Amino acid sequence: MNDHPHDYYAKGKHGHDHDHEDHAPIEERDEGPPSEYEIMSRAMQELLEEKGAVTAEQVRRRMELFEEELPYRGSRVVAHAWADPQFKKRLLEDGKAACTEFGIDLEADRLIAVENTPEVHNVIVCTLCSCYPRALLGMPPTWYKSTNYRSRVVFEPRAVLKEFGTVLPDQVTVRVHDSNADMRYVVIPMRPKGTESWSEERLAAILTRDTLVGVTVPRVDAAT
Amino acid sequence: MTLGLRTQGAEPSPSTYAPAPGHRFKVGDRVAVKRSFPPGHRRTPYYIRGKTGVIERICGAFPNPEELAYGFDGEPKKVLYRVRFAQPTVWPTYSGPARDLIEMEIFEHWLEPA
Amino acid sequence: MSGTASNRSAADIGGDDAGPVDTLDRGMKFWERQANALRSVVQRNQIVLVDELRRAAEDLGDLYAKLEYFERTTLALRALLIEKGLVTEEELAARMAEIRARFDVPDEMESPIKKGKSR
Repeated sequence: MNDHPHDYYAKGKHGHDHDHEDHAPIEERDEGPPSEYEIMSRAMQELLEEKGAVTAEQVRRRMELFEEELPYRGSRVVAHAWADPQFKKRLLEDGKAACTEFGIDLEADRLIAVENTPEVHNVIVCTLCSCYPRALLGMPPTWYKSTNYRSRVVFEPRAVLKEFGTVLPDQVTVRVHDSNADMRYVVIPMRPKGTESWSEERLAAILTRDTLVGVTVPRVDAAT
Repeated sequence: MTLGLRTQGAEPSPSTYAPAPGHRFKVGDRVAVKRSFPPGHRRTPYYIRGKTGVIERICGAFPNPEELAYGFDGEPKKVLYRVRFAQPTVWPTYSGPARDLIEMEIFEHWLEPA
Repeated sequence: MSGTASNRSAADIGGDDAGPVDTLDRGMKFWERQANALRSVVQRNQIVLVDELRRAAEDLGDLYAKLEYFERTTLALRALLIEKGLVTEEELAARMAEIRARFDVPDEMESPIKKGKSR
């Protein structure tokens, strides 16, 4: 299954009006009446702003970071690992150090990269909450945070992968990683045949978020 | 309102890994997860308690999340390991190949030699 | 060993039977992106720790399974801010009423908060 056009990666960058005053409530919002939780969240933010605990600017910058920068990092790093075997080796040895070398600040995330091979397929989950290398990949998809994924992928990974359209033969070992403490994970998928001459940019385009969590594998026909 | 800078939580680091001075287990050791069910915030999933696996890697020593969750500083740090388990040993009715694996991070105080 | 299996937290769901995964990413509404950013900023500003946020979500108990992800995280943050004395229930309720009026929401919607439960 391809990532839906609604996918995070597919969101185009859009312009921002940077004329907000620091204490003005953010005016953009969803259509329809706000839910109780939206109201609660806005109330907390306003109170925290007034008490000097956060600023509107900080929140806005973080939203922009999650929207415009973070979702694109992971595919660039893994595309580079595909293109450069020595970088891949360093990424596997120490994910955070390798990303720093590549110019990406993972903030507090401690990254472990795990590699798919013809013998082993990796898939990531956080059963206890939704731990995810956000500084590398942005926000996790809704399915990753869902209780159905969290509870089932640990005991029936192959059935769950099938729901994503990924069928693995029995001779491939499935290796599930429950991201339950201080480490965060990214999958280095196998590089498809036929991509040998591709630029890193073209490689990055087929390294969707789903492939970097391990529920799907990169597809050459999905390339731009 | 006084905010102050908190000193709890793991420090920023250039490496994924942290030092683990005095670590009890080494890579390859067989370990069992304690069959214990304490109340409160734990990062050892219920489904892995009492199961036996092998140390896959030493991640380093980190402040104890079980304490951080309640506003304590989490010191002294606890060594965190990645432990590898065979899926059939975790789930008695596991339907996939016996070679399939599940791996996660377990703190040293949750582990015993097996 | 010690303890009882009933101490399993609401979030500790690995291994539970459940239905099919909705494999489509449903994205985030604007308020959810903002709530996510707020959650990130309060951690970066060291107002709360991620461990505390997780614990507060686990303490939702039976409510946990009934809520969506950002509903849980919003309630967890609320519980922590009140617990730490950073906001009071009263001022939060007052601000929520003001925001409802600002967005012209006619009635206070049903919620566990309306019933006076603090966590």
